[in-house]
Amino acid sequence: MNDDFYIGYLEKAPSSLGRWTRRVVLALGVLVVGLAAMLAARQTPAEPGTFEFGIQRTFEGVLHESPLPMLQSVSSNGVTTHYLLVGAGKYGLPAFARGHDGQRVRFHGSLIQKGDNVMLELNDEKSFTPLGPAASDNAPGREVIGEISITGELVDTKCYFGVMRPATGKIHRACAVRCLSGGVPPGLLVRQGNDASVVILLAGLNGRPLSYEVEWAARRVRATGKLKSQGAHLVLEVARLSLVDDERD
Amino acid sequence: MSTTYRAIDWNRQKRRYDLTLVVLVALVFLSFMGVSLLRSTHITAETLLIRGSAVTALLLLHVILAIGPLARFDPRFLPLLYNRRHLGVTMFFLALVHSVFATVQFHALGDESPLVSVLTAYRQDYNVFASGGFQPAHFPFEPFGAAALVILFLMAATSHDFWLRNLGAGFWKALHLGVYAAYGLLLVHVAFGALQSERSPAYPLVLGLGFVVIAGLHLAAARKEARLDRAELGAEQDGFISVCRASEVREGRGRVVMARGQRVALFRQQARIFATSNVCRHQGGPVGEGQIVDGCITCPWHGWNYQPEDGCSPPPFQEVLETYNIRVIAGHVWLKATANPLGTRCAGSLVDDR
Ligand code: HEM
Ligand code: FES
Repeated sequence: MNDDFYIGYLEKAPSSLGRWTRRVVLALGVLVVGLAAMLAARQTPAEPGTFEFGIQRTFEGVLHESPLPMLQSVSSNGVTTHYLLVGAGKYGLPAFARGHDGQRVRFHGSLIQKGDNVMLELNDEKSFTPLGPAASDNAPGREVIGEISITGELVDTKCYFGVMRPATGKIHRACAVRCLSGGVPPGLLVRQGNDASVVILLAGLNGRPLSYEVEWAARRVRATGKLKSQGAHLVLEVARLSLVDDERD
Repeated sequence: MSTTYRAIDWNRQKRRYDLTLVVLVALVFLSFMGVSLLRSTHITAETLLIRGSAVTALLLLHVILAIGPLARFDPRFLPLLYNRRHLGVTMFFLALVHSVFATVQFHALGDESPLVSVLTAYRQDYNVFASGGFQPAHFPFEPFGAAALVILFLMAATSHDFWLRNLGAGFWKALHLGVYAAYGLLLVHVAFGALQSERSPAYPLVLGLGFVVIAGLHLAAARKEARLDRAELGAEQDGFISVCRASEVREGRGRVVMARGQRVALFRQQARIFATSNVCRHQGGPVGEGQIVDGCITCPWHGWNYQPEDGCSPPPFQEVLETYNIRVIAGHVWLKATANPLGTRCAGSLVDDR
């Protein structure tokens, strides 16, 4: 009589119904697991990058606050490295490290690195030690490359250099706004083809920080100015910055 | 109003349902994370968690939304419907994991409170009158997810029968129809969010197909009910309406008929036909799609019981369905179109078609 009728509070469902239910659930399970795997397989792969989260090392060198905060550090074998400097969380150079332009300093920090772009997170205020004025031969070492006008995605360099992977596009836009608003140096991500890309750090004119609209984060902008190199970084002293309406260039 | 709750035990079926659910959710989550790691070797653990929980939650929501109409077409889907609230609560927790991690990852440790930032991070783009007009590629997508989460929370928090009683069935039902609002908000959340970043056509395809399946199933189920609602009313005599042939109501089974715009459940037990309201006192399930079990009308959704002759739940339960007077004449069932006062006994009408 009640052959196929299911009643949830009974101990056992009718066996024919049990078989059907098992089959349906199995089919549904295979479908859903397969869809999840397929969506995962179609993701745009995240780009490489390093963030030594929770690892602190000691760094020492000359601090340059402008046009962008950097530590110029010479290793024991004589190689000079320019580290871009940011604070913990979604902030740029922390207050405790300001006002030491051109001085030697030492501090504990965490390394962030993507290719040749290296950055330090200053996350240990107590360790920050000014060591006095730098020797006179420690000039920032910037070389002018030329005037350029170039289009790319406005990114926050901290996330892009390795803290978040992925760190571009719409999904990351709010985070990039927060980081830029907190003073993380802005970068222009310029892609070439599918694989090659370069980040140009954006600075203001005459050593001043760039003033710009942080809500342009993750959108395409066009920057015009004088391109310089500082260590392995490219720095553009921006004379003009504008939103590019046509997303396809 | 009843003072008791049905103490439905954690029986074998229920345990197996929940175990199956946990295993399946874990498999979906793990398969997404595993394949992601193979595909995107540099992806961070936070991103894996944010995406894995989101994809699992959204897939589960599709299952939840599909079960209802499927069970109306084929009662064999009823076992899945039975504990659907467990699916709902599980889905809410997955969505919560996603929301918390996304809010912390993308909004915390900055110069604005994370909860405010979710709504205002790029507020300029709310202005659809700005140059360029409405641009989904730039319009904020996080607020749609946040709004969906609020709805899902309210539903999960009130899913217990305690709330069904205390909020009243009408309000409760309306609140739980919010699942469709949440689904709509999530479609927008994903369409304005992930779909603007991901380049593979698989994403819009899966989202669109999911919508077509869910909408299609609901439309088809609605058409089926509308057909029933439109079914021709037969002759009318002394307030009795001819609703169907007695042979269409099989022994031990129910059948839903229309009488003056209302759905009424007919049941046949021991050669007598009885009629009660079709709307279950529990969550409004279609009583007439149930069966008679151990002498009681049993709702197909969660198995609540009512006695055919007076519509009352067997003691100690106190729910009551309206009964309707019935006459079986020459193999035709005639139904009195107005319901009896609650608790009225009706002897039913003997069928002499044996
Ligand atoms: C406060 C609430 C929420 C916030 C801030 C939020 C934020 C986000 C963010 C930032 C992304 C992009 C993540 C990425 O691709 O890496 C995303 C994607 C997504 N969200 Fe939410 N979300 C919220 C609520 C929800 C809810 C309640 C659901 C329900 C299931 C949901 C479902 C999804 C889905 C399916 C995706 C696409 C996943 C993917 O990229 O593969 N979100 N959300
Ligand atoms: S609706 Fe839950 S038992 Fe009828």
